[in-house]
Amino acid sequence: MFSLNKLLITLTLTALVSLSSVAFAADDTHYGIGEKATAEQIAGWDIDVRPDGKGLPKGQGSVMQGEAMYEAKCASCHGLFGEGEGRWPPLAGGEDSLTEDRPDKTVGSYWPYASTLWDYINRAMPFPAPQSLTVTEVYAITAYVLYLNDLVEDDFVLTQTNLASIKMPNEQNFYIDNRPDTNNTRCMKNCKDPSKIVVIQSLRGITPDQETETAPESSEAKPNLSEATIAGKATYDTSCFVCHGSGIAGAPKIGDKEVWGKRLGAGMDTVVKHAINGYVGDNGVMPPKGGNLTLSDEDVKNAVHYMVEAQ
Amino acid sequence: MSESKKPQSAKTYLADLATHVPTSSRRDFLKKGVKFSTGLAAATVAGEAISDNLPPNIPSWSKSLGTGVVSTPYGVPSKFEDDVIRRTVEWLTADKISSISMSPIQELKGIITPNGLVFERYHAGVPTVNPEEHRLMIHGLVDNPLIFTMDDLMRFPSESVINFLECPANGGMEWRGPQMEALQFTHGMISCCEWTGVRLSTLLAEVGVQTKGKWILAEGADGAGMSRSIPMDKALDDALVVYAQNGEKLRPEQGYPVRLFNPGWEGNTSIKWLRRLEIGDKPWHHREETSKYTDLMPDGRSRRFSYEQEANSVITSPCPENPWGQKGSYEIEGLAWSGRGKIKHVDVSIDGGVTWRPARLKGLVLSKALTRFSLPFKWDGAPGLLQSRAIDETGYVQPTLNQLRDVRGTNSIYHKNSIHTWQLQSNGKIKNVQLK
Ligand code: HEC
Ligand code: HEC
Repeated sequence: MFSLNKLLITLTLTALVSLSSVAFAADDTHYGIGEKATAEQIAGWDIDVRPDGKGLPKGQGSVMQGEAMYEAKCASCHGLFGEGEGRWPPLAGGEDSLTEDRPDKTVGSYWPYASTLWDYINRAMPFPAPQSLTVTEVYAITAYVLYLNDLVEDDFVLTQTNLASIKMPNEQNFYIDNRPDTNNTRCMKNCKDPSKIVVIQSLRGITPDQETETAPESSEAKPNLSEATIAGKATYDTSCFVCHGSGIAGAPKIGDKEVWGKRLGAGMDTVVKHAINGYVGDNGVMPPKGGNLTLSDEDVKNAVHYMVEAQ
Repeated sequence: MSESKKPQSAKTYLADLATHVPTSSRRDFLKKGVKFSTGLAAATVAGEAISDNLPPNIPSWSKSLGTGVVSTPYGVPSKFEDDVIRRTVEWLTADKISSISMSPIQELKGIITPNGLVFERYHAGVPTVNPEEHRLMIHGLVDNPLIFTMDDLMRFPSESVINFLECPANGGMEWRGPQMEALQFTHGMISCCEWTGVRLSTLLAEVGVQTKGKWILAEGADGAGMSRSIPMDKALDDALVVYAQNGEKLRPEQGYPVRLFNPGWEGNTSIKWLRRLEIGDKPWHHREETSKYTDLMPDGRSRRFSYEQEANSVITSPCPENPWGQKGSYEIEGLAWSGRGKIKHVDVSIDGGVTWRPARLKGLVLSKALTRFSLPFKWDGAPGLLQSRAIDETGYVQPTLNQLRDVRGTNSIYHKNSIHTWQLQSNGKIKNVQLK
């Protein structure tokens, strides 16, 4: 209240001054620009969570609840056990690997705070549909990922109050940047023994071809495609490509005529219904609308057409 | 009767012209005829340089009209420059939505990176943000939490700075050994622009930061909700909230309509599509400052909040993409930069670091900006090991790779700023190598 009054006074004064004289700026620190952010506006956007639990909403979720949710919404990329499918990041494992030649940095082996997991899942996952999870889902899935890392038991219930007390194994092993950590000198002559220089050559065959690239095949609409297909491209690119582009976790690959031919045996309607409602097949989990529930049924249908027809 | 004669003579003149084959096409015809009849001989000559456009001929573009104004309302580079593009290394990331591309620094001149060539890094793709509906909220430990429209932000006094922006993973593919046969891939996660916006300190004064406020959480409006904890000292020192780069509004890839910009600091602290700044008393330890952007040391412990980009440099000509040809005069040229201030000296070695010669700094030498260095060189065709070494105004000398590895091992991913070595071969080609 007090501060608001002060603001109003500043504004009024500014107005008076500029009317009565040629003033170019009010004072150096206050311009009176911007509107007050209301408590409601702040509450809607203030999603961050800190290690001490500040920022957590009221709620809870259990490992038990989290299992099914994780398998439906996360496992296709991160693996049933958090081992990571293909190139997608693993979420579990790697204990005691940090000093090894190939360290495996995961939630369990590396992350210093459990709050980070809650915060990140809430703001950024599942990858195709960020900020789509309910509070209960975030608690339950976080609990489940902690469980996959052997950090809690299978009967654990994660709540607003107990999250801050979970100790992560690697918490004590972080310290503030202490660079500069080298001290080279500006030597100009006879700086080393030339006979001792050993030249290491680069590995071959991993530098990408630098010929001018054309746009990637998979996302180019071809002229002979149906209208539904062309309309579906945008949805595909943002919501389906992550799995169907590479065929991760058993997702049928875009444009793979043989695979789609077999699936269409069940009829286009069934296939579309599966895409809209989600289902568990022999290959893996297809999340409802690919995880992006903001899509309309029509969008999803068009995206299916695009995947089937694209070359 | 001159009046009646005039049209007649013009007609005759035109008719006369029509019987003539225009000189250029006649020459074309002759050349083609030669090519067809004596294919082999012509090919060799053409290989040398038979072109209608070379002296003594008048080039075709001098004898015709070009396209008119606004035929390209937003200008684009010449079609002959179509290989000057950003490129990515596909195997680095699982997909293109959370990925990175590199600037073609091997092709760029001066110190400014054109907007379309600034390297890209995002974690959830480039969002399409409507500036009319975009808001920046500042709240937390402040007296007056405020929400700003883009128009609001542009009413504050603006400042422009020329600073580099670098991903701390620049060069990070080569901790264990040389991998990439291209400068674009070894050093291209860097760009340098003129950035325009309002000082963060100005906005903070507007909301009135309480004395307990020591950290700021900056958060993006993209699908990654990219977030980092920024210490108050930086915010009050030189951080900017920017809406323009190189004279025009930010590109979508660079955070349109507004981003944070922390001069000299690792790129991902400069949160793009900035929607929120929360003032707090402690850091948040979010995913991008714990799981990522922390530096794992050989003892299994990790550095956190390693914000500064230390002094670095690289020779851009020659490089694998810009080899030398015959013996003769060349300019060894390159870029140097430091997140701690101005570049003071750059030295160049052609013998793998046994002897060094000071290079000349040319053009603008600005704090936390790309700086060009140059050393004219008469090449006698001998092979060599080319290196550059930057020294910044704090006296810090760019380390050798061995010095870095001795302290940091090979698993810290970020902040690899060691002296880079190009092997010059006697045919003028350049290979990426490391010295043991
Ligand atoms: C379509 C694939 C996909 C799905 C589905 C998905 N993720 Fe992810 N996940 C990713 C990608 C890609 C990243 C890395 C993002 C980046 O580069 O910033 C990631 C990162 C993470 C990380 C951080 C890993 C690290 O080591 O930093 C966590 C934790 C995570 N995801 C949890 C989840 C959870 C929980 C779900 C389900 C609610 C989920 N993800 C669903 C693709 C996916
Ligand atoms: C997180 C990964 C993932 C995402 C994202 C995803 N899918 Fe799938 N999808 C799958 C997997 C895995 C299957 C295979 C399931 C099986 O049959 O075992 C599948 C199967 C399908 C099928 C075949 C259905 C059938 O009956 O055979 C369709 C159609 C489909 N997805 C459409 C979509 C559409 C449209 C989108 C985007 C809106 C999308 N998917 C996004 C993983 C994904």
